[in-house]
Amino acid sequence: MTTSGQISRRAVLSRRAVLRGVGTVMALPLLESLLPRVRAAEAEANAAEHPRRMAFIYVPNGVHMQDWTPAQEGTDFELPAILQPLAAHQKDLLVLSGLTCDKGRPNGDGAGDHARASSAFLTGAQARKTAGANFRSGVSADQIAAQKLGDRTRLASLELGVEAFRGSGNCDSGYSCVYEHTLAWRNATTPLPTEVNPKLIFERLFSDRPNDPDRVKRGRLRASVLDAVLDDAQRLESRLGGADRQKLDQYLSSVRDLEDRIQRAEKLPPVVLPLGTQKPQELPADLTEHFHLISDLLVLALQTDVTRVVTYMFGREGSEQKYSMVGVNEGHHSITHHQGKPELQAKIKAINTFHIEQLAYLLAKLKAIPEGTGTLLDNCLVAYGSAIADGNAHAHGDLPVLLAGRGGGTVQPGRHIRYESETPLNNLWLAMLDRFGCRAEQLGDSTGTLGRLA
Amino acid sequence: MAIGADKLAWFLGLCGALSQVGSLSAGETDKPAAPPAGRQADPSTATFAKDVLPFLQAHCYHCHGNGKHEAELTLDQYRDDASLQQNRKVWDNVLHMIRSGEMPPKPRPRPMADEIEHATQSIDAVLASFDCTQNKNVGRVTLRRLNRAEYNNTIRDLVGIDFQPAADFPADDVGYGFDNIGDVLSTTPLLLEKYLTAAETIFEKAIFIPEPVEAKDIRLEEFRVTRAAGETTDGGAALYGKGEDGKGEVYAETTLDEGDYIVRVQAYAKQLGDEKVKATLRVNREAVKEFEIAADDRDAEQILEARIRVKSGAARIALALENPFSHPDSTEDAPNRRLLLMRGMVLDGPYDPPPPPAPEVHRRLMAHAADLAPREAAREIVTRFAARAFRRPVKPEEVESILRIYDLAEKEGESFEERVRLALCRVLVSPHFLFRIELDPADAKAGEAYPIGEYELASRLSYFLWSTLPDEELLGLAAQGELRKNLDAQVARMLKDDKSAALVQNFAGQWLTLRKLDQVSPDKTEFPLWDDSLRRAMRRETELFFEAILREDRSIFDFLNADFTFVNGRLAYHYGISGVLGREFQRVAVPPNRGGLLTQASILTITSNPTRTSPVKRGKWVLEQLLGTPPPPPPPDIPELPPKGELKGSLRKVMEQHRENAICASCHARMDPIGFAFENYDAIGSWREKDGEFPIDASGQLPDGQAFRGPGELKTILQGKKELFARALTEKMLTYALGRGLEYYDKCAVDEIVAKLEKNDYRLSKLVAETIRSEPFQKRTATGEMQ
Repeated sequence: MTTSGQISRRAVLSRRAVLRGVGTVMALPLLESLLPRVRAAEAEANAAEHPRRMAFIYVPNGVHMQDWTPAQEGTDFELPAILQPLAAHQKDLLVLSGLTCDKGRPNGDGAGDHARASSAFLTGAQARKTAGANFRSGVSADQIAAQKLGDRTRLASLELGVEAFRGSGNCDSGYSCVYEHTLAWRNATTPLPTEVNPKLIFERLFSDRPNDPDRVKRGRLRASVLDAVLDDAQRLESRLGGADRQKLDQYLSSVRDLEDRIQRAEKLPPVVLPLGTQKPQELPADLTEHFHLISDLLVLALQTDVTRVVTYMFGREGSEQKYSMVGVNEGHHSITHHQGKPELQAKIKAINTFHIEQLAYLLAKLKAIPEGTGTLLDNCLVAYGSAIADGNAHAHGDLPVLLAGRGGGTVQPGRHIRYESETPLNNLWLAMLDRFGCRAEQLGDSTGTLGRLA
Repeated sequence: MAIGADKLAWFLGLCGALSQVGSLSAGETDKPAAPPAGRQADPSTATFAKDVLPFLQAHCYHCHGNGKHEAELTLDQYRDDASLQQNRKVWDNVLHMIRSGEMPPKPRPRPMADEIEHATQSIDAVLASFDCTQNKNVGRVTLRRLNRAEYNNTIRDLVGIDFQPAADFPADDVGYGFDNIGDVLSTTPLLLEKYLTAAETIFEKAIFIPEPVEAKDIRLEEFRVTRAAGETTDGGAALYGKGEDGKGEVYAETTLDEGDYIVRVQAYAKQLGDEKVKATLRVNREAVKEFEIAADDRDAEQILEARIRVKSGAARIALALENPFSHPDSTEDAPNRRLLLMRGMVLDGPYDPPPPPAPEVHRRLMAHAADLAPREAAREIVTRFAARAFRRPVKPEEVESILRIYDLAEKEGESFEERVRLALCRVLVSPHFLFRIELDPADAKAGEAYPIGEYELASRLSYFLWSTLPDEELLGLAAQGELRKNLDAQVARMLKDDKSAALVQNFAGQWLTLRKLDQVSPDKTEFPLWDDSLRRAMRRETELFFEAILREDRSIFDFLNADFTFVNGRLAYHYGISGVLGREFQRVAVPPNRGGLLTQASILTITSNPTRTSPVKRGKWVLEQLLGTPPPPPPPDIPELPPKGELKGSLRKVMEQHRENAICASCHARMDPIGFAFENYDAIGSWREKDGEFPIDASGQLPDGQAFRGPGELKTILQGKKELFARALTEKMLTYALGRGLEYYDKCAVDEIVAKLEKNDYRLSKLVAETIRSEPFQKRTATGEMQ
């Protein structure tokens, strides 16, 4: 009774219809064996090993150091007031004192400590003092890792934040706003913007629609579109001069990057989302909830091995975020110029503690995910800190820095280590990169690889 | 230098010694300030060699000369006036460092105050003495990527759907106060991914691919038999006659969508006589097909099958017996006749339904000449779309290159619509669409200015005034090479068009920093009346006010004071205006104590702290946004206020104590008094008589000695600074129009625009027109790098 017409028509499944069917909630059984496997290259090296991941978290405007730095060194140290929320994680934690971000200092460039601080945190480079045209920082530590490890995952790196406000105009004493809201620099002139919208982050992480039956074809056609516009740009480039060519180069490298990523995604096995994973909604109104959502996504990204390198800004440098949930209704930056007033210092401390609570939330999530014989946190290194110590004085020495996780057994946490004063923060980044097989001899103002971590 | 002297004097006095009296009053624009004491740079005679060099030798070369170049700054490479003028940014920075006291640094000896004054004023004078008669440099804007607002508007006008696809894009970076600056707008992999996704989404919405309609089986029920043709049975019928009218049949009625259906009828017959039973399938009373029924056993029934086509609506499917026959022995009580036994009817369909009507946007995008082969149709579609998207005619080989993706998609088995979608996606991800490309002519020599092409001019115009692509009229004129000749008429037309609302939102929104309104969060305990509807109303008032000044050919000085404004019910209540209700805005006469931007709640709110007013921010806003003379940033290591004896009194008193500190005083003496004039407006712009328990004192004195009482008198003083204000606004507008920061040589274009503005009663519309007429807008300097 079936005609041939019937057969052929019904066989055509609408791709769009299929796509509409997925995407909102993808719930699949969580099986250890289905979790992203160690990729072939690493499998050869060590079949049992899970990939190492790194995250860098930045907090703006410094912290109240008196309640941050532990009095004792070594394994037997008491957590000061601000770090108290980390009590459950003390054994997974290194408190690193004495590190310095010299390139946050004026070094002859005058005011603008906030812009310089965030820009130098992962780069160790002196930001060029400019409100726009020719901003320049340096390649950031996370991007060194992204360039070396990026071809093994869908995304080479992920840039997260919670503060959407990016300022307009000259943001800090003649420094472009870009310095204040960027941690990750692909190279000295290419800042990587942070994404703050949970829904968009989710879409970015899982954009290749793993359940799309036409996934491979779709990827192929997208790659062809990119290939074609690459051609446009190359033809155009020969007809452009000067700064125009630089702008087009940015475009070209972005196209190549995306094309690589699409082609890579084709070769990688489909992402398997943990049971019950929900696509988050748009920006939540509640700040604490926003922090939690972004942290959840960070964990999800590492867990599913969509990326191994994440940067996360708890706020843009110079942030005027209000933290009314801890009773601070003034802008964060304004009160950090406390002029020694105890009531303002108490408020700064409240904000600092709130941020540490958010870190504790993240660490707890990482710890709750079993991986191999340990947990996801065991395979991570999560650096947390600021390139400003005391916000009132804009101090860039003796910074607040934490390192959580075991980096796949390459770090011995549970200690407070005090380094010689003026030790470059970048030495820590070199030490982290080393543990990820991304050895770099030099990064920004580094003078060597930070010791005593293991 | 006639023009610029007022600004110069203002700026010179900015952080100079307090004894310095600048020439701030109106009418003195031609003369430099009279020197109160010591040496005074005379702007007309200051030279680098005579007035600047000695200072540099004494205080700067120690680290930035004689072979040393601390902070990569080598000052002894600059040897004459021209070298200063050509490196203005370096020297602005030098000025800033010297004035702020950051340089020379400790422990180098501190220069004498009058030495600093003389050197900095002379550098200013040298920079300002740039000779415009010799200037040929019109500058060169860097390739501009469409920013978010431009992308949204461009898609709206190109595709015909307004759905803000750029809402998800990362925010654009800002330079020189605006987010349309070519140098600053960067492209990242993340953004590129958004472009690709946006393009896909755009065409999923715009190009309509109907969902295939699922064919399904429809079992007909409720059969009827026409009179005397037979009888219904359980689930079917037995036919034996042709009925009274000869058209007898068994039928079922149903409602169908248009399309092909396969009708299947289960039937068998009771044969009688010398021929087989014949049956006709009828649809809507028309015979469709005739069958001979061979089956004569209920258990081996026959399927009568026919493909039919129906229109949408009621359908009557019927089966008729063609050859009734009764045996001679048949009686009414014991009939013996041929029987056609119908046991069920099923419709399987619809197949090949007509395409549902495509939406208008689809029809417009996909329109092509009739009877074209698909690829030729695609060529026509792509050519038209790409020319619009690239804002210029496209060459056949470009179209051919775009069609390659069409071919590829065809090989992948994609439908025509899907192939066109991909080709158009490719257009929207192309650099020719995403960037506003201006190419040097082949014969352009390095460093020479050439008039940009007519299409390029059309784009510059439309992105300046509308933040979107040129319309048909602009492109039409450009095609004929007639746009430049009709510039004034086109500008007037464009300003009248609703699309010029983009100039208000994007230029005024950034010039006046109105966008900050989205970020402020006044304290709810302090200001219980604050909410989002008030926030929106504040912004709308200022936008409508700007729009009125633009569209009504008003003077730019109306910005500083005007007798009208716009309020809705919410804002009227806020201002204490009675008689305005509802959400709609209406034009009203200003209430007492209001008038002009400075007393609008929007500006008063964005220049306040969450819990209180900030005279510093208000003063700084006036200096920076309105007068173009921003105070330098605070020096590093700001000393703490004396902890002993808590500062007491009103905010004003506290700040006055603060200013007793000499390091703070020099700049705060400029900012704070301006801010104090507006102390009668609280942090969300409501009128107040007291600050807490303290009565408001809104009087003050500017460093030049001009005293005022309250905002009205300050506004009068500001309105006297015609040249300063006009110049500052011109610089802002030119920056926005060009999409680049202004350089030293742009001073010449600014001079010219300001002069023409003055001759035309400072009308804002004239400022727009003259900005467009200016050399930097009309021309571009060639790099000479292209082949």
